[in-house]
Amino acid sequence: MRYALFLGCFIPMRLPHLEAVSRRVLPQLGVELTDIDGFSCCPEPVGFLTDKITGLAIAARNICLAEETGLDILTLCNGCTYTLRQANQILKQDSALREKVNDILAETGHKFKGTVDVRHYAQVLSRDIGRIKSIVKKPLTGIRVACHPGCHILSPPEAMGFDDPLNPTVLDSMVETLGATPVDWDKKTGCCGWTLTNYDDRESANRLLGEKLGAMHAAASDCSTVICPQCFYQFDTGQMLAARELKLDYRVPTIYYLQLLGLAIGLNLDEAGVKLHRVRDPALEEKLGRLAA
Amino acid sequence: MAIKAVYRDDEGGRSGAAEICLKCGVCCNVAHSCHVMNDHKFNPRYTFVYDCLTSEKGASNPNIWLCVSCHKCEETCPYEVSPVHFIESLKGDALDAGWVHQTIRAEVNQIITTGFAFPLTGATERQRQALNLRSVPLPPLTDLMKIAEKTHIAERLREDKQ
Repeated sequence: MRYALFLGCFIPMRLPHLEAVSRRVLPQLGVELTDIDGFSCCPEPVGFLTDKITGLAIAARNICLAEETGLDILTLCNGCTYTLRQANQILKQDSALREKVNDILAETGHKFKGTVDVRHYAQVLSRDIGRIKSIVKKPLTGIRVACHPGCHILSPPEAMGFDDPLNPTVLDSMVETLGATPVDWDKKTGCCGWTLTNYDDRESANRLLGEKLGAMHAAASDCSTVICPQCFYQFDTGQMLAARELKLDYRVPTIYYLQLLGLAIGLNLDEAGVKLHRVRDPALEEKLGRLAA
Repeated sequence: MAIKAVYRDDEGGRSGAAEICLKCGVCCNVAHSCHVMNDHKFNPRYTFVYDCLTSEKGASNPNIWLCVSCHKCEETCPYEVSPVHFIESLKGDALDAGWVHQTIRAEVNQIITTGFAFPLTGATERQRQALNLRSVPLPPLTDLMKIAEKTHIAERLREDKQ
């Protein structure tokens, strides 16, 4: 399986350790990654909802670059997936809109044809759980994980095609395959709050974050896992920044799913990038270290 | 299932659908943001019904910027009213009226002029080098400028057009 790797903005510009672990782990599952120069921001979905036609044209230009290589796009981010999958689907279905977007793109030399698909890596991996299981060398036995799939990989389900938005279980299955224990927790489908921090409402974002962390803690989670860099940032840096305001007397570390997978296939905490996190728990790291020994 | 792409072209449909809203409140129970906002200032039912049917300057309601398009309201609405699409269409109206949130204005400008929503910092560059990652290749900005010229987005982002 060869894909055009779409990094987006947030991972390469803010969380490069997640890019590093993704590049290291995905090929071990037979997912070959091809870099394509020229990709821009997807564009960021909430911002470009103000002007859908410009957003569609920028998304279409990115899809065109993949079409020109004949490769489907693989994303590492829920937001990129949300933008690109919807744009791809809309432009494949609506010929009038496709014509309009191609007219906008004409001077760039690109033309949307609708010949490739866009997938988040979780959509690829979850279709072949057996393959994940086959490479696990250090099962994460006894690690209790609160799975947070995030909003934009779930909805709208007719475009995203990943999981039930009101009762998601796919990420739990992916975690279980690693030998860890997905916990049943309240607030699982709620927003992480990251987007709200951009719109001058940090206080509300923190309250949303606090509700989620409280529910994870109440379910005796050792950590959470996410498949989106913005959710990761909110649960890691966001938790560190909000801890005092939230009066947290506990911490819930978060681990991006491909880091968790990396640990289960034998990477150490340093190699998986966990030592670069803002919220770290010595007890969790001691457990993980013991499992890796 | 087809996805409806550009809702704001359908003013009649927008008002018609808003009229079938029963104000049952289901969307307010599931839209997570509603629970945590100070003074309950965000409420998808209030925002779109009020703005579509009763307000002369609906798109100026600052609450619309607090919708993160999680689609939870859409998934649970028993009458398929889809508040999220109304709120998105109001954001489009806000663009035309010059009332776009400053964060949106800055972000869209940043993407058009640099290709990315977030700038590359020296710290990240050093971290990338330490991780043996290649430099981030910049997209050809001429492409993005050509798109922006065609859609007149920069001009439409200007404030106070009314």
